[in-house]
Amino acid sequence: MAVFIKTDAELVAGTLRGSQDAFRELVVRFERPVYSLVQRMVQNPATAEDLAQEAFFKAYRRLDTYDPQWKFSSWLFKIAHNTAIDHLRRGAPETVPLESDAEGQGNLSAVLADEAAESPHAAAERRDLARSLEQALAHLRPEYRVAVVMFYAQGASYQEICEVTGLPLGTVKTNLHRARKELARVMTSLGWGPDAPGETGSARPS
Amino acid sequence: MRPKPQDSHTARAALNRWLAAERADGDDVADAALREMFEALPLLAPAAGFADRVFARVGLQPVKRDVFASFGVRLMLVASLIALGLGAIWLPPVLQGLGRFLGESFSLSGVMGFGVRAVAEASRGLALVLSVGEWLFAFGRALSELLRAPRAMAALAACLLVSALAFRFLRDHISGERSYRYVDPI
Repeated sequence: MAVFIKTDAELVAGTLRGSQDAFRELVVRFERPVYSLVQRMVQNPATAEDLAQEAFFKAYRRLDTYDPQWKFSSWLFKIAHNTAIDHLRRGAPETVPLESDAEGQGNLSAVLADEAAESPHAAAERRDLARSLEQALAHLRPEYRVAVVMFYAQGASYQEICEVTGLPLGTVKTNLHRARKELARVMTSLGWGPDAPGETGSARPS
Repeated sequence: MRPKPQDSHTARAALNRWLAAERADGDDVADAALREMFEALPLLAPAAGFADRVFARVGLQPVKRDVFASFGVRLMLVASLIALGLGAIWLPPVLQGLGRFLGESFSLSGVMGFGVRAVAEASRGLALVLSVGEWLFAFGRALSELLRAPRAMAALAACLLVSALAFRFLRDHISGERSYRYVDPI
């Protein structure tokens, strides 16, 4: 059976014609990348959810200003990025979600809870690695974090990162290089790497 | 997204390749390995129902889905009805057989006896309920006699006033503390 997946441009056109289904599809398609980007910027799940909602709200309101010659994802990420930057500039006090765990990654466990396909050991290691990565990301400067998340986690190009962040190409490349080095340093200091005890089958010391 | 069984190993292997490449200053390998590691780990996700909350914020009502809109569902429904119709052909002989079986197991007088006993038990229950009701009625009448005194009326009115004020205070307090974070339409 043939499955027809609409392009972002078709969904945008549908939303502009008043189709709620098209807008829902856009939200569902981009909720994870947008939330992921914002969460990594503000480091707070509840605030990230609020800001991600705000980004979609702004995108919906300004959809008629979107130029289809650009990628929709870049346009949406730019709105999400600016919304998060505005929040960080305001220096709004952070709220701590009730279900937050020690590392402040409240919903990371929920994300990783769907681990039925993995063995308990593999699932635990995956969760451990994801937590460490979030910890390491939290050590980076916000502009480094954005670059890392967009380039490595979401597969964006240098050009797209330039469009979203408004930084020149050289700066983006430098940021990415420095961010990767810093991330590696923190991950190594957290006990990860080829020489870590977990490689020989035992659990990694935390 | 459900993780694949090999994702954990892929992530760990990619991590090791990345960190080894960093030591050896292999930028391209490090870039590729780090991307692979992120790919093997899931994206963070908002809590369930995020799209509905966005809809509420935007001011749209979530569309109620028509279950029968899908061609597949309609086809299955038609097939079920046809199966039901064919099944109905076999219904009379099955019912006849069942009737014969029941007829042999129970007699008419037994069924009648059971009905009479059920009616008698129901009547007794009703009588019990009525006697309790009568007692409650007498108690209420006595209480109303007491409350007719001016002092009792004043005390009752004061109690009602205090209750109303307390209820109002509680409602305001609860409303003030409520968070509209996820449903606030701007």
